[in-house]
Amino acid sequence: MEIIKVRDLSKIYTTYKRGSGFSAALKSFFKREKVTVSAVDGVSFTIEEGTVCGILGPNGAGKSTTIKMLCGALFPTGGSIDVMGFSPAKDRTKYVRRIGAVFGQKSQLIFDIPPVDSFAMNKAIYGISDADYKKRLDDMTELFDVGDVIHKPTRVLSLGERMKCEFIMSMLHAPKIVFLDEPTIGLDVIAKNKIREVISRMNRNGTTFILTTHDLEDVEQLADNVIIINHGRKVFDNSLDKLRTTLGSKKMIDLTLAKPFTGSEINGVAVKPGEDRLRISLEVDTEQRSITEFLATLSSTVDFTDISVRSLPMDEIITRIYTAG
Amino acid sequence: MRYIKIYFTCLRIAFSQAAAYRADFLLGNIMSLLSNILFPLVTVVIYANGASFPGWSMWQVLLIQSVFAMSTGLSSMVTQGVMWATMDHIREGSFETVLLKPLPPLFYLTAVNFSTGSLGLFIGGLVMTVVSAVKSCTSAAGVPAFMVLFLAGAAVLCGLDLIMAAISFKWVGNSRIPEIFDSISEFGKYPAGIFPKAVKVLTAFIIPVASVGFFPASALLGEVEGYMLIAVIPCLVFLAFGIWIYHIMIKRYEGVGG
Repeated sequence: MEIIKVRDLSKIYTTYKRGSGFSAALKSFFKREKVTVSAVDGVSFTIEEGTVCGILGPNGAGKSTTIKMLCGALFPTGGSIDVMGFSPAKDRTKYVRRIGAVFGQKSQLIFDIPPVDSFAMNKAIYGISDADYKKRLDDMTELFDVGDVIHKPTRVLSLGERMKCEFIMSMLHAPKIVFLDEPTIGLDVIAKNKIREVISRMNRNGTTFILTTHDLEDVEQLADNVIIINHGRKVFDNSLDKLRTTLGSKKMIDLTLAKPFTGSEINGVAVKPGEDRLRISLEVDTEQRSITEFLATLSSTVDFTDISVRSLPMDEIITRIYTAG
Repeated sequence: MRYIKIYFTCLRIAFSQAAAYRADFLLGNIMSLLSNILFPLVTVVIYANGASFPGWSMWQVLLIQSVFAMSTGLSSMVTQGVMWATMDHIREGSFETVLLKPLPPLFYLTAVNFSTGSLGLFIGGLVMTVVSAVKSCTSAAGVPAFMVLFLAGAAVLCGLDLIMAAISFKWVGNSRIPEIFDSISEFGKYPAGIFPKAVKVLTAFIIPVASVGFFPASALLGEVEGYMLIAVIPCLVFLAFGIWIYHIMIKRYEGVGG
């Protein structure tokens, strides 16, 4: 069942252009040049209930603006959003009761007091019963292993500890949908894995997640579907498997050569230089030619000491989609 | 009932926050009290040197200024935190964290930004009001009118805070604007009779700051006039306008680049 339906969504900002330096600052004090920015431009998509959807895009692509409109925090300039039958910005008070959100760069915890006091505030705001609150808090603190952490002032917590507490804060009211805007930004591997583990577990229990991220591991480990936005427009919307094959069935062959290579191609395939002159990579489209045949030809024409074959990395795929978009 | 429960939970948290920095809490209250108490000292000096506001005794003038301090303390506790918190949220682009709460944003911000630092001012103003009222030989008969006019005056200051907060949605970094309104509100600290008629009308009905100190003090002194009670209407309009414009401006919130 579709839980989110977005049609022709757009957001236009008006801002002011200003040059750098003192003279530009002085000039802009008297006259400012108005600039219209189309942050989101006619984006449409749907998201199925119980899935994890990753929204990707380069910096300034419109991901965060999209997620803020989905949360009801920003009014769209045009188009429509339907989440669980609500129009997020218009029905904000009723709607946000049913969602959770974690903004990696904006804390919802109160800085000077322990997270457990911020949780207690949300308990009152969301009207969570004592029994539900205790059960959920116990479950989450155990899951994140932050039993002691939640009693320390937020300002003394590490980024990883704070993010875990942000998660708990946003999930105490058992939301059906959780929006995550760069939830693992700046975290170490252990903290990232813990957060991913909790997201997977909650998703298995039926919670729908929508996340924006620059960390492709988040997407590879969590997402069922991926939406890519670039320059405010949707450039990809499909499953993660489809994303992996969107540029064709390509394989990367990494070679360590016996002696330096000076040419530009091998057997009709362009050579990508590696860390030094002995290491090169070849990108082979296996829909165009058999990998077995190519490797056989390669071993007879090139003298190498090591070889590895791998799929086209996700960051390479994403970069090409960004560049094309 | 739910909102009362939320308000008191947030209030408890505001006190927990203040308690986190005990020295700052105490110092803030003392400084705020001192800066507002020093002002009436000017009045004491004026009268000690034989000068005066015509028709007003020193204790009567001090009563106006004490009521003004109490009103400022009350409005600061309720809405001044909203003003500064809104300005900070807009500048940092974090207002969405407010909009994620299933509450009217103004209610939420009022609840979580209760300014404990103004408690000292309110209590100090209250003590000074009682002392000045006793010294001015006021009667209890004026208390009902005083309460109405006092709350109307506090409503004006709350309305001013909300208008300032609303302006920051469009005009980011307007932290000096409150100083302009602080200057205008100074008119409420003196007997209206010393001002020209135009200023009297302006401070009674247009920017009704006379209701902050002078009108409620006049009620306690048994000198309330009909026009002072009529001035309650613009006070309430001022507050209503502040609330309305704040809600309108929320729709203009655009956040910052994420």
